[in-house]
Amino acid sequence: MIDTLIPQIVNGLVLGFLYVLIAVGLSIIFGLLGVVNFAHGAFFALGAYFALTLYETFGWPAVVFAPILVGLIGMAVEVLLIRRLYGKEPLIGLILTFALGLLIEALIRLAWGAGGHPFSPPPFLAGIVEYGPLLITRYRLAVLVTTMALLAGLWAFLNYTPFGRILRAGSRDAEMVGMLGINLPRVLTGVFGLGCLLAGIAGVLAAPLWTVTPSMAAGAIMPAFVIVTIGGLGSYLGAIVAGLLVGVVTALTIQFMPEASAAAMYVLMAAILLVRPRGLFGERWERFE
Amino acid sequence: MKDKEISPLAISRRGLLTTAGRAVAGGAALSVGSPFILSARGEVPAKIGLVFAKQGTWTEQGELLVNGANIALEQAKGQVLGRPVQLVWYDEPSPQAAQQNLQKLAEEEKVIAALGGTNSGTALAMSAVARRVKIPFITPNAAAREITGKECNPYTFRVLTTTSVASRAMGPYLASLGKKWYFICASYAYGQDVYTEMKKQLEEAGGTEVGSDKTPLGTADFSSFLLKIRQAKPDVIVAGLPGGDLSAFLKQFADMGLKGKIPVACPIIGDSDLWSIGQDAATGIYGKPWHFSDPTNTAADKSFIDAYQAKYKKPPADKAWLGWFSMRSLLLGIEQGKATDAAAIVRGLETARFEDGAIPAYYREWDHQMLRRSLVLKVKDKITDKWDWLDVLKVTPERAADLEPQFGTRDEVGCKMEAL
Repeated sequence: MIDTLIPQIVNGLVLGFLYVLIAVGLSIIFGLLGVVNFAHGAFFALGAYFALTLYETFGWPAVVFAPILVGLIGMAVEVLLIRRLYGKEPLIGLILTFALGLLIEALIRLAWGAGGHPFSPPPFLAGIVEYGPLLITRYRLAVLVTTMALLAGLWAFLNYTPFGRILRAGSRDAEMVGMLGINLPRVLTGVFGLGCLLAGIAGVLAAPLWTVTPSMAAGAIMPAFVIVTIGGLGSYLGAIVAGLLVGVVTALTIQFMPEASAAAMYVLMAAILLVRPRGLFGERWERFE
Repeated sequence: MKDKEISPLAISRRGLLTTAGRAVAGGAALSVGSPFILSARGEVPAKIGLVFAKQGTWTEQGELLVNGANIALEQAKGQVLGRPVQLVWYDEPSPQAAQQNLQKLAEEEKVIAALGGTNSGTALAMSAVARRVKIPFITPNAAAREITGKECNPYTFRVLTTTSVASRAMGPYLASLGKKWYFICASYAYGQDVYTEMKKQLEEAGGTEVGSDKTPLGTADFSSFLLKIRQAKPDVIVAGLPGGDLSAFLKQFADMGLKGKIPVACPIIGDSDLWSIGQDAATGIYGKPWHFSDPTNTAADKSFIDAYQAKYKKPPADKAWLGWFSMRSLLLGIEQGKATDAAAIVRGLETARFEDGAIPAYYREWDHQMLRRSLVLKVKDKITDKWDWLDVLKVTPERAADLEPQFGTRDEVGCKMEAL
């Protein structure tokens, strides 16, 4: 029994960390801009596609520029479109970002074709690692380490840098931050860019894990929403705990009740919301209540 | 009541449009300086409807099917029974929308027949509409047995082999590889069809099922399933997964170091799905209706391959061929029926015979299933060509007499065709 459970749990944790990375970007954007970014999955897919093209043209090292490109596109999108949504009816934001997501997906189809593209992990990360019952591909292990490092770095950035402090303050009381003489519009552009950058990184990491297809956006955005909801809005720790929970629960459902594996995370979400309506680590946010 | 109020208006509008259409057609013929007689004979073009995905998961299949259909029409010089043919292509984002679009094609565009369905879900839904609005409907790429089984109807024709036929074609070969099978099948019509049919093959061969998983459609990460498979140690893995899912599965299968250790089999695969897996991960035994490098391809097949290659700079995938073959069968069926009314087209399709190598292909009269050979192929051990990754293991049946039994008896198929 334990031989079955250990590999599944470890596998679930890897997936969970990847989900966390997507969810954190979504959570930061929502927390600060008050915009539910339905296009987040599309930025994720864009990251994967940029990585694919950069790899094919310039080789592996160029792949690091993929998320940066995604972040820059995110910033342009914020200046052109998202900026107009602040303080407006949330529904407009939903519709706009939803449309944006569809648009990006259509552009991806146009530029790269509707079919899937194979994308193998870099040669030095190919192969598997085995420890007793535990089996994991080397690339998955690398994804695990990378996401953990990234999340720790992001946490330090948000907590110990002046920019991080502005972000955290802005997410609670944007007006007050503005009154203190901080150029908030520029900060907000940066935040949207940061969120998209994170989605892009997740996309780059996921590309060799899954197949690069235009529809990969949908596969990423739903778990991310569920994780943000379970973890509690804007809670960093919440997103991490919820992400790992979703990963492990999904993996274990596949082991014991495969046909329910797609529904498992929604059941988990419903159950947690019944007990804690604001999510696991959700606090009361005056801005949104 | 409401219908009665609307219909006179509809008729007068239609009359007006037809007159306008003729005027335009006549004018166009004059302006390019064609003999005047052409506009009299050319009439209004005969419209043929297409309902294939323009967006979503099935976009690529939709495009390939339409590309193939276009080539068939070009090869027929764009006409049937001396009338110019115009194709009208609508989208099929969901079964419901596909139904509405087919209905629109029939009622507003007045198509004489339609091709449609990138997948079984939309094809089944549209088949019901074809019956209601009484237009001949050919579905090239749907494998669900019901289409020519218990949901069959006089207007619906299907070209792709059913899952049960494809399973029958490869079952004995798989059983020779080992008797312990693991099933990983998506939880929707096609995936479950694969499970039922291949299970039957396994039981006939006296083997055992060592595991079976229903996977959610659109699964991106199969690693947890692969861990289970690895522990079950099967001789053969039967993957009833649709294109994109299969690509993801095989990629992760190779990443986990399982490629070459356990054979994977899938009764039906498309070339584009195979190509998107990538040469490094591609492996397995597959069923296909047709393959571009199959040495038994006919002269007509070869002219199609040349036309496709010239236009798209790569060999045609099986879906493109299915679109081509379906459209070709429709045009030949209309020529055979000698008229463009639904009953004549249906009769024409039922009686036409299509050149297809050693054994001619045809739509079986009592269930409207296209009866033709199936291929069993295997991914080459060493892939050298950019596109040709498969070797043909077997073409079934070898004798004409075995064609009917391969597609099942009336009892097995379960189609009770009503009168036209």
